[in-house]
This record gives sequence, structure tokens and C-alpha cells, in this order.
Amino acid sequence: MNDAQSMTPEIPGDVGLVEYHDFLCEQPFTFDCGKTLPGFVLRYETYGHLNREKNNAVLICHALSGDHHCAGIHSLKDRKPGWWDNLIGPGKSIDTNRYFVICSNVLGGCQGSSGPSSINSQTGEPYFLDFPEVSIADMVRAQYLLLTQQFELSELHAAVGGSMGGMQVLQWGIAYPGFAKRIIGLATTGRQYAQTIAFNDVGRCAIMQDPNWNEGRYEAGKGPDVGLAVARMMAHITYLSDKGMENKFGRQRKASDQGNPFAAEFEVENYLRYQGKSFISRFDANSYLYITKALDHFDLYGESGQMEDSLCAMESRVLIVGFTSDWLYPPEQNRDIVHALLRCGKDATYAQLNMDLGHDSFLLHAPELYQLIENFIND
Amino acid sequence: MGSGRTQRKRQTDLEIISEWIDEGSRVLDLGCGRGIFLEHLKNRRGIRGVGVDINVDKISSCVKRGVTAYQGDALAFMDVFDDKHFDWVVCSRTLQEMSEPGLLLEKALRVGRNVAVGFANYAYWKNRVHWLLHGSRPRNKVFTQEWAESRADVPISIGIFENYCAAKEIEICQRVYLKSDWKTPLQQLPNLRTGYAIYSLRKQ
Repeated sequence: MNDAQSMTPEIPGDVGLVEYHDFLCEQPFTFDCGKTLPGFVLRYETYGHLNREKNNAVLICHALSGDHHCAGIHSLKDRKPGWWDNLIGPGKSIDTNRYFVICSNVLGGCQGSSGPSSINSQTGEPYFLDFPEVSIADMVRAQYLLLTQQFELSELHAAVGGSMGGMQVLQWGIAYPGFAKRIIGLATTGRQYAQTIAFNDVGRCAIMQDPNWNEGRYEAGKGPDVGLAVARMMAHITYLSDKGMENKFGRQRKASDQGNPFAAEFEVENYLRYQGKSFISRFDANSYLYITKALDHFDLYGESGQMEDSLCAMESRVLIVGFTSDWLYPPEQNRDIVHALLRCGKDATYAQLNMDLGHDSFLLHAPELYQLIENFIND
Repeated sequence: MGSGRTQRKRQTDLEIISEWIDEGSRVLDLGCGRGIFLEHLKNRRGIRGVGVDINVDKISSCVKRGVTAYQGDALAFMDVFDDKHFDWVVCSRTLQEMSEPGLLLEKALRVGRNVAVGFANYAYWKNRVHWLLHGSRPRNKVFTQEWAESRADVPISIGIFENYCAAKEIEICQRVYLKSDWKTPLQQLPNLRTGYAIYSLRKQ
């Protein structure tokens, strides 16, 4: 039996021009930390069409620095399409001819959804650090309101996410059992261990020690850019791998700057500095603090130290994929989720892809991954 | 393995094991390949199963069939489960490919109330004649590859397997000997005449 031959060849297309929408929830929203906001905004995009039965929706959950724009382009001048454009589209693994794809930004973020840089109507200025501490569960609860109020959905065909998006889809399965029929989590974890918390804290310290941070009170465009760029540079290293970086940069040098002996000399320095610099133009430093804290606090092991206690609520079919070169959320942390699910008699599949590109492998060109997702989602 | 011919040959093997497994059982298939057996069990017996294989393409095929699968090492995988977590553990043509088949069997008997084992009988008379005449590993429908390309293959025979079970106090609940067609049952002189053997085992 050869499964490869039974695949119908199809030429995949692109979703093309897309635009975002804002969901305004006007009910009070109470965060896990106990604080309440009078309402919130979630920015989202959709691709494909919701069917009459309203059972073909697929939710995409993004990672720490991702956003709602996961496929297509906003304008013909865009240099790059959405971040998961190679996975989502007509004839692609998540086929927009069949599925209605929704991708929302997260609560606490800075790309159109409510977060620390949003205006507090009571003071007329940004919330800054008065914004409630946000959790992964809060992000998911806000998405739930979007799906149930805006689209009147009572089920999801699937919820798909990598890294922090993987935490969200697991939380979806736990908080709303059976709502998502299928859950796909990639390069994710049931909780972060000391090393990852440590990296996040170095990033936060870089931001908070930048004088422009000013206890979180800064004007738009005058924030702690140096701190945020350094945080991003360091975090970016954790998304790559030793081998991946070696293959990409090695010891290659760029044209030298005669004036400053400490200017970027190696290509890898140049690359990271560019990553840092471009990040400050699209990300808010306070959001970075809030979201990395949400990651650090996420813990499916709970007080008992047994993931089964939280995962036993799950009624979805689950696919978890680990990547061999991922040292941020390594394969064993992905496997542990599947072990716990299987121990409590749940339906959970584990696959592991041998890619050199580290944690970010799930975002890059990965035909084996696309096949897995397609097989799982279409079953 | 995996050719159409081998698949057809395995049909009886799978039919027999299916008969043993009760409706709704929890089944672990070690070396599940593309999940054909678990799919069959799921459709026919409504079992809840999980297969283990090391190859990502096989896992992807399982996923396509709607079969739950785990990519990784079978020995390490079993360590995460409590005793008798599974109603059945199936090792169909898996044992001979392991570097320590005894350890696999021991772990399978720990996590499974029942263990189904199937293997090609190396002591089958034609294999013996081949060794006697040529002094080399036989090459036929069962052993399809030249030694240099073949996977690790521990020669298991009915005689040594049953002696091992006796020594380890493993209870043989059922045994089925099939002729070289892997279909027709036989009774007499099994170690000499059996092409394929299937057992149901238990250990308290």
C-alpha cells in the first residue's frame, strides 16, 4: 500500500489580498489575575468561507512575536506574505477551499488587540503597567468570545498552533472540552523549565534596564528600543540551532566598518542586529514583558505535578509534533504531553521531525510537517 | 517488508489476532507500520489503539488512516505506562527486529494484560535444508533481501520461543501454527513444519 500515490495532485494557490478585522467585546472581561477590563479588542483575519453548518472553522494560534496575519498579503507592495502562508491557502495543507481559517492576535499583544499600549478610557492614556497581567488561559478565553459571539461557532474543526500557539491550543482543549475536534500543537510544552524562564528574564531585564522604559511609561516611538532589540536578539538565538546557524552563517564576514572595531563584523552579528532593529518597529516592549510572563506562568502540571490532572478534561483528537533540533521546547517536552494524554486514555499522536533549524523549524519550509497536518486535519 | 505479497500473507495473522481481542479493548501495536492492523481493529472491534513506529512517514500514514500513533522507541515508550495499562500489546513480526527481543517481551507483558506475538518460524524445514545445502541465509518470500541490505533479523523458532516462555514463566494461552502459506493451520511437528506462529501470552 503506497499512500503517497493515492494523493491527488493539486496545484496550490494563495489566499491573495486579505484584510484584518477588529472584534470589540463590550462585556467586562476578568483576567485570571482577578483584574477586570470593561471590554477588549481582538484583531483577526479570516480566509475561506464558513459553511452553513458552521463546522469547518480552523483556528490558528500564533507564537510570541507572531500576529493575526498568517496568510496572504495586505497590499500588492508587501514583500512577504503572512507568516504561515506556505501552510494555509487554496489547495495547501490547511485548504481554504474546505476550511474557514481564523487567526486572531492575542490579548496583551500590540498588533491591534488590547494590550498595555491600548488607551485606558478612564485616564485617556495607555494602560502601561496598569494593564492586567495576562495568562495563556486569558488569551484563549478572549478567542472563545470572538468565535462564539462574532461567528456564533459551537465547534472548531481544528485548532492549530506552534510554540506559544501550541500552549494555547492545549488550553483550548482543556478549557472547552470537545469544542475543537482536533488539536495540533507544534514545538510546544506543558510548562517552561528553568532555562527558558531564565532566557525570558534576561530579555525582560534588558528592557527594564533601558532608561527609556521608565517603569513602563513611555510614549509611542520613544520606548526602550535598545533593551527590546537586545531581548529579541538573544531570544532569536534560542529559536535557531547550533547547526542551523553554522550552515547559514558560519564565520562569513560582511564588509568591514573601518571606524568602529566592534561594529557588526560577522554575518551572524549583522543578522541578529537586523532582527533586533526590525523588531522594535513592530513590537511593544511592555507587551513583550506581559507575554513572556504569560509563557513563564503557563503550567499544565499544576499543583499536583501531574499533567494528567489538567489534560484528562480533553476530548479532542491531538497531534503533537516535536523537532529534533529544538532546544527551547525540545522533543521530550512535546513527548511528555502525549505520554500524559495517552496515560489518561486520550487520543494523542506524536511525530518528530528531523530538521536542523531549531525551534523555528515549524515556521519554515517543512514538507513532512505539511503532510502530517494535512493528513490529520482531513481525516 | 510492506510489499503487496507480504501484506496478503499477513492477512491471516491479523485475522487470528483480531479474533482474540475483545470489543472496546485498549491496544498497543509495537511496530505498527502504516497502521493497517489498528485501522482494521478499530473498524471491526471498536478498539482504542495506539501504534508505535520509528519512521515519520509511517506515522504520517497512520494519521491519514485516523490511527493514533507514536513516533519513537518502543522500549522507552512502554516505560511511561502503569502495569497492565493495555488490554492487548501486539508484536506482529516485531520481535525479530529488536536487538533485545526478551526485554521487549518483558515490557510488553508488564504493560499488557495479554500479548499477541507473531513471527516467521526460522526452524521451518526449507530454511534448514537451505542452510544445510548452501550454508547461507535463505532468501524467499519471507526473507526478501540480501543479507547486506536486510534489517536486523533475530532468528526465532517455535522451539526456542516456547522454551523461553516456560523458563520465564510466561503463560501461553493460545498458539496457532500456520503452514508456509501463512494460512493453513497445522498440529503435527510444528517446529519443523510451521511457516508462521502466533501466540497469545500472559504473565501475572
